[in-house]
Amino acid sequence: MSAQVQRSSLLAGGTRTRLVQAGPADATEALVFVHGNPGSADDWTRLVGAAGAAGHRAVAFDLPDFGETIAPDGFEHTPFGYAEFVAEALEELGIERVRLVLHDFGGPIGLIWAMAHPDALAGIVLIDTGVLPGYTWHTLAQIWRTPVLGELFQAITNRSGYRFALNRNEPRGLPREFVETMYDHYDRRTRRAVLKLYRATPDPGGMSENLIGLLAPRDIPALVIWGEGDAYLPSSYAAAQERAFPSADVHVLPASGHWPFADAPETVERLLVEFLARLGAPPR
Amino acid sequence: MPSTDSTYDVVVVGASLAGCATAIQLGRAGLRVALIEKQPDPQAYKRICSHFIQASGVPAIERLGLLESIEAAGGQRPRVHAWTRWGWVEAPPEQAARGINLRREVLDPLVRSTAAETPGVEMMLGWSAERLLREHGSFAGVAARNPDGEERELRARLTVGADGRDSRIAELSEVPVKTSPNARFAYGGYFEGAAPAHAPDASVWFLDPQWAAAFPTDTDLTFYAAMPTKERLPEFKRDPEGALVRFLADVPEAPPIREGRLVDSVMGKVDMTNRMRRPVAPGLALVGDAALAADPLFGVGCGWAFQSAEWLSDAVLPALAGEQPLERGLDRYRRRHAKELRGHTYFMHDYSKGRRMDLPERMMFAAGARDARSAAILDSFATRQIRPAQMLPRMVPRAIAVNARHALAR
Repeated sequence: MSAQVQRSSLLAGGTRTRLVQAGPADATEALVFVHGNPGSADDWTRLVGAAGAAGHRAVAFDLPDFGETIAPDGFEHTPFGYAEFVAEALEELGIERVRLVLHDFGGPIGLIWAMAHPDALAGIVLIDTGVLPGYTWHTLAQIWRTPVLGELFQAITNRSGYRFALNRNEPRGLPREFVETMYDHYDRRTRRAVLKLYRATPDPGGMSENLIGLLAPRDIPALVIWGEGDAYLPSSYAAAQERAFPSADVHVLPASGHWPFADAPETVERLLVEFLARLGAPPR
Repeated sequence: MPSTDSTYDVVVVGASLAGCATAIQLGRAGLRVALIEKQPDPQAYKRICSHFIQASGVPAIERLGLLESIEAAGGQRPRVHAWTRWGWVEAPPEQAARGINLRREVLDPLVRSTAAETPGVEMMLGWSAERLLREHGSFAGVAARNPDGEERELRARLTVGADGRDSRIAELSEVPVKTSPNARFAYGGYFEGAAPAHAPDASVWFLDPQWAAAFPTDTDLTFYAAMPTKERLPEFKRDPEGALVRFLADVPEAPPIREGRLVDSVMGKVDMTNRMRRPVAPGLALVGDAALAADPLFGVGCGWAFQSAEWLSDAVLPALAGEQPLERGLDRYRRRHAKELRGHTYFMHDYSKGRRMDLPERMMFAAGARDARSAAILDSFATRQIRPAQMLPRMVPRAIAVNARHALAR
């Protein structure tokens, strides 16, 4: 079962972020979890624990203005700004070889980090995210990207509306606590950050061909998990990940939606642990 | 060997489940029946089949006297547990209907040998129907050919097409056919050492719109099946075993398929177009899949083969005994077939479009997961013991009440 998960904080990129970690803290190779929108380090508690129990160093942290972490003045709310933050956090943590675990908007952020540090990428787990060739934004993102409308939408979203809208799009519904925590974190800062981030990303599929060209020849070990009922990023993109990661092990979970680690936690944990076992123990 | 006298009361084309069941019943009633089968091997069996027999088919099997030998051969008597996103729909054990699971490799030869041993039934293996004979505007038997090229005319008052989903008899007789597309495909295989929870009961997963199932069967094997929509076909074509195992291992409350070993190979069927044919024409009747090839997702094919054979025999026996015109018997069979199966077929074929569940379906399944009585009603329906017209009036008010109570309790 899960090893002890440690909660602490980390000074990185000019702010103090929440840190969730497990496994050998001195290892230079680690599993690094990057959450999506709206998400936080809390998304990963179970999987961080599972990876730690399997003997791997695993870390997850809030991205600035998500979870309970506040962005420093002048922070750039763009995929590049967030990727830079990830790089700074990894430096702070002394992690040199990285196995990324990405979800949702953590995908573009993590992949931009990978473009800048391709030699440091030792493996990747994509959960309802990845390269998105030809993808155009889902309706909600289009609302966020529209001036005034986006602000209005964020202003009127309340807890019950949030809960309703979220579950409406989920094939199995999400655990109540998971949704509540997500909403607790969805404060004014996060809402503003979301608008900025989506507005800074006009073409979510734009970098795909570059990424494919860079990553495919390296044939990085990859695990792809996608909820078949994902209402935001269609599961048809699951198989497309093989273009960037030719040896990817692709799992489309037939009963899951956009958050498989919340609606099918056992399955996602099993797939992750098996993937880690296939990769073997990281060098110490 | 076939006798030289080639006039029979009935000629049945196809010695699989429906054909054998028809021949056994009519033979036992004292009629002379020719049962022709193009497969020369008496051990031949249908390979692509989930082999699950719904509880609705059990009385017909019992009446044929086959139930004991099926159980003696290792046949299981499963109830069905259905996973939905609201939980498992499970009727209370004492109320849940029990079907049959026995591999076709065992079942088919067993049924065929019973037919061959039935007095009055002349089994002609290796003979295929070439054309239909006609007399006075009515069908009157078939011209059959064996692999040596020998052709014989088998004359009969009644010709029965029991030759499956791609029925040659149906084609030759030009009975009207209605088809509707099936958005799913099917892959499945037998595994040893991978019995699912609830074994020997069967488990099915309504993953909406995807579907998966585990049928524990004889000799401790389990038949695992996946019926995804066609978007998932490429991965199954590329690596059938890998895709099947991955699919089943990733369902919620997944069965231990990865701990098992595949026996034989994985089978797939891509075109599962639903076919409904008018089951009668002058002097002719269709039974089993030849009459109605319904979506295999609901596991009704084998059971309905036995049932339609029973309905046909019961309907035409008075006529074949000379008590009334054959047309009346055939018409009675046609009406019985429609009454029993049309409602079920309507719902099944609509669901085979690969769509998500609609609101009434969601309400009924949710109620089934939350309330034992609702589960029992759904169980009777899914095992085809009651028709939609009998299920809906009981289920709909109850589903509304159960879900309202659930919503209020939260």
